[in-house]
Amino acid sequence: MKFAFFPGCVAKGAAPELYTSTVKVAEILGIELDEKAMESASCTGAGVLQEKNQLLGDTLNARNIALAEKQNLPILTICSTCQGVMSQAEQRLENEEYRAQINETLKEEGLEYTGKTPTRHLLWIIVEEIGEKKFKSLVKRKLETLNLAPFYGCYLVRPSKALKFYENPERETCLEDLTEWVGAKVTDFPGSKACCGFPILTVNEKAALKMVGNHTSSAKDLGADAMVTPCPLCHLNLDQYQNRAAGMMKREIDLPIIHVPQLVGLALGLDPKELRINKHIISTKKLLSELSLRP
Amino acid sequence: MVQTAKKTVQITIKRQDPEVDGNKPYFQDYNVEVEDWFTVLDVLIKIREQIDGTLSLRCACRASICGSCAMRVNGQAKLVCKTKLTTVMKDNKILVEPVGNMPVITDLTTDFKPFWDKMLAVDPYLKPEEEAPEAEYIAPNEDMVHLVGVMNCIMCGACVSDCTVLEVKDDFLGPAALAKAYRFVADPRDDAENERLSNLIEDGGIWDCTRCMQCVEVCPKDVDPMSRIMAMRANSMDKKMNKSYGARHANAFTSLIKSSGVLNETLLILKTKGFFNIIELIKLLPLAISAQLAGKRPPFLSHSIKNKDNLKKIFKKLENK
Amino acid sequence: MFEHDVLIVGAGLAGLRAALESIDAGKNTAMISKVHPVRSHSCAAQGGINAALTDRGDDWKDHAFSTIKGSDYLADQHAVEIMCQEAGENLIELENMGVIFSRNEEGKLGTRRFGGQTVARTFFVGAITGSAMLHVLYEQTVKKQGQVYEEWFVTKLIIEDGECRGVIAMDMHTGKLQIIKAKSVILATGGAGRIFEPSTNALICTGDGLALAYNAGASLMDMEMIQYHPTGLAGNGILLSEGARGEGAYLLNSEGERFMEDYAPEYLELASRDVVSRSEQTEIDAGRGIDGCVLLDCRHLGREKIEERLGYLQEVATEFRGIDLAEQPIPVKPTMHYIMGGIKTDESGRTDIPGLFAAGECANVSVHGGNRLGANSLLDTIVFGRRSARAAIEYVSTVKTLSKDKTELNNETKRIESLVNRTNGERSATLRNEMGVSMTEGIGVYRDADSISMAKNKITDLIKRYPNTSIDNKGKIFNTDLIFNLELGYMLDVALTMCIGAEERKESRGAHFRTDMTERDDKNWLKHTNVKKKNGEPIFYTSDVTITNWKPEIRKY
Repeated sequence: MKFAFFPGCVAKGAAPELYTSTVKVAEILGIELDEKAMESASCTGAGVLQEKNQLLGDTLNARNIALAEKQNLPILTICSTCQGVMSQAEQRLENEEYRAQINETLKEEGLEYTGKTPTRHLLWIIVEEIGEKKFKSLVKRKLETLNLAPFYGCYLVRPSKALKFYENPERETCLEDLTEWVGAKVTDFPGSKACCGFPILTVNEKAALKMVGNHTSSAKDLGADAMVTPCPLCHLNLDQYQNRAAGMMKREIDLPIIHVPQLVGLALGLDPKELRINKHIISTKKLLSELSLRP
Repeated sequence: MVQTAKKTVQITIKRQDPEVDGNKPYFQDYNVEVEDWFTVLDVLIKIREQIDGTLSLRCACRASICGSCAMRVNGQAKLVCKTKLTTVMKDNKILVEPVGNMPVITDLTTDFKPFWDKMLAVDPYLKPEEEAPEAEYIAPNEDMVHLVGVMNCIMCGACVSDCTVLEVKDDFLGPAALAKAYRFVADPRDDAENERLSNLIEDGGIWDCTRCMQCVEVCPKDVDPMSRIMAMRANSMDKKMNKSYGARHANAFTSLIKSSGVLNETLLILKTKGFFNIIELIKLLPLAISAQLAGKRPPFLSHSIKNKDNLKKIFKKLENK
Repeated sequence: MFEHDVLIVGAGLAGLRAALESIDAGKNTAMISKVHPVRSHSCAAQGGINAALTDRGDDWKDHAFSTIKGSDYLADQHAVEIMCQEAGENLIELENMGVIFSRNEEGKLGTRRFGGQTVARTFFVGAITGSAMLHVLYEQTVKKQGQVYEEWFVTKLIIEDGECRGVIAMDMHTGKLQIIKAKSVILATGGAGRIFEPSTNALICTGDGLALAYNAGASLMDMEMIQYHPTGLAGNGILLSEGARGEGAYLLNSEGERFMEDYAPEYLELASRDVVSRSEQTEIDAGRGIDGCVLLDCRHLGREKIEERLGYLQEVATEFRGIDLAEQPIPVKPTMHYIMGGIKTDESGRTDIPGLFAAGECANVSVHGGNRLGANSLLDTIVFGRRSARAAIEYVSTVKTLSKDKTELNNETKRIESLVNRTNGERSATLRNEMGVSMTEGIGVYRDADSISMAKNKITDLIKRYPNTSIDNKGKIFNTDLIFNLELGYMLDVALTMCIGAEERKESRGAHFRTDMTERDDKNWLKHTNVKKKNGEPIFYTSDVTITNWKPEIRKY
């Protein structure tokens, strides 16, 4: 399996541990990541650029996908937001007229968007392409004592039409499934498909912190040892702002947040240091020692 | 109706009675014989007509046009008259609760007053500047057809029920009221666009939306409230109403992508808050320090993508469209 | 508080329009509605609103004739003239208020064809015209700070010295009964579809205003005129708009034939609704139906047109039947939809009782006579909503005394309490279902002396059983169980008048088609039928039809 690797801006900036752990687990899973294929690709706009100019945002995403198409590669993403934004663009680009309009612009660079291979998140690829049997055969370290709360991130669960849940029903439960495949237990808490509040952090920090506080504390109170998320923006909010949120709620939370590739990496037997799990704001020391791992 | 296979389902309903037990919510199970083609509303009506008349709920048209019967089914807001039982049953069971983000009067009947108050707060009526013409206003059909999409809103409250911002900030106008505001902003006969937008960019307005897409997902009429909110954001920024952090953030984001193709988060924050906004920047210091210590502070100077001039060409072509 | 110049019962299109008129005239106005205004059944009207715009060269007289012919000459022609003359100005008013009517290439109001009309004069908003108009009118009342007793249920009209002086109503949020005094009361409570099963109507269409007026001594006119809409979904009866046929859809039988060619060679699918429904029923009865239905075929209209102009129909078809109108035809059948009959009023909404007015579907002016044309109902609500308000405003200036009630409220409270306290009785739904099935069978698209008599006997029996029904909910707050039971009472009263009208009218005219008397009898029956309560019993009488310019002819489509 070879993919044009689209790490997204945050994996190269505020969440470098996501990038590192992705590269490491891809190797073991047999996923070939061609990052050079995306060296001319731009940021997806993360929904923010789209609120200023949707046509511009869709053109940028069409361009990214066209760049991969030119090299006959489908794109792999590691961020819920990147994935969601691209899926929504792909849906709008199903309209012939709109697609033709955007291709007029891409033509000037010698590119054409056809939409022949949809973009997919690493999590989807694990569940859809690798599958339970193969994945479980690669698991070297079953995380049996781990109670894990799944947090998808809005862009990976809504709108379900753009994300093609009807055609790929396993996408609805992919994070819970992965949790079970690594041997861990799913902590069922109400906020698994809720919003972390990241998009309103600058506008309304109080509301964003309430969201962080509500979801992490409810997961913690229901017994979660950690929370796993496929979105580095959610990770940023839930991890870096957790202490502030806890302060606002006047309680302790202390729930470590880990990325999907880090979870996969631990199960595949990799060393926590390789996965940069020690580089989080909410400490993962306790979590790792409970898994009998040295941080 | 052709009789098809009957089966029994267990429907759990969250109930409460203000005249009993301090209005404390409780769950009640009903076992109901249903037909394959039943909607959730068909089950509820059967319960109250034949089994338990004390169950209180609002419903009228049964045809997804009056907006009375929005409820949470298995935790998600739906219009129960158009929700087929087969699509929501799990092991022949379903859970029905009143919509969220609204006080409950009794059982499945909620108090819509906060909903209507917010609707009224956006001045939901046409504001033409001059006297009406003798005949009709002239308006292009595409504009009217475009508005039908928003006018499809039946005020059911499903979007408000599941809005994640309303869960934590109850003075947010909310998706329904903002979609209604858009209906007037986009009406060529309305002359109050600037006045409306300058009110809507204030606290509680369009910049409070967290883009979680719950409203898009649950709306039974494809009104897509979030897109309407985004359209008003774009509109307000086009008119240079840039004082809110939301607008500054969107503008900064766009210009950073334009210059290098990727996002520099550090610069983004500085540009959004303002390089000289000492108070806000000081507030960010502890975060910046902890990020720095964890090796997670994004660099001040980020790399650029290859062939970024191609990107700039695209920006130049489309940025004012 | 609880004292008004003009009190309007019902906040659908007719009620809201009346309220706007009254508020603009500076009168102390209030609406009272058992649901929030935007839940009113006006929202379900889909196809459009008729108007002859003279500045386009259209002629209101042509619209008037189409309406009168459509009514099978039972309409009062002076009232039809008024409605058609005032249509244009009312339409423009609505557009100016903000209704998002469809446009033609010049940006002016656009039209579609509709049943029984010679030219396209139906103005529309996609397939949600009623909803679009309702929301705009509601917003206008909000703008003018109109008062609404929201979720209040009227249980009785107050009649003193032969005049209507207000209502007694229950606040559904507290269960408390209250007198609301008013110098005038306008009933705008809509239709009574729930008397039948199935029906296109909402669960709230229970003939409340009709029963209130009837029990107060007003006349109900032409109650046997029940419109069966040609294209209701089988099973739940949900409406598929005539707009589909207006855009060019066909009706096909099981042999794939456009059977309307046989019944209405000129107007085909756009003949008057009673003609189309009877044609469908005949085909079905002759064995050329499919599971008791015919097919509505929109495929040739193309997906784009369906999505742009018939969006709501596509939604109903896909959501409720899993059918894509662009790919498949959809089974439909005649379904009870509208009552042409109603509270007898003059051309300004005045009933037999001074101080009591009526407008909209609950009223019978009569503009629809024996059969209503599509898109005339929305027009009716606006024109007569406005007119009845004007008449009420005028009347109000002559009123010197308000209600002096001392005992009515107590009596009514006791009555409701004893109803609530009854136990071990039959359930309301049992009676309602029996009524629904019998009325549809007995007073259907085709009826005869036996079927009518069967229905009448059933209703009479149910009326005897009704006082022994009981409810489960003994609480005060939002007791919908109680409301249903009260609505059942209203429906039984109204159903009886329908049976009496059907029995008495000894001819076939418009929607009242008797297989035992198939001819129209202008000599003896060019008359309105009326039922009125006297000393607690219904009495029947006839009244004249006003003919101005159009002599009754044989009706051919």
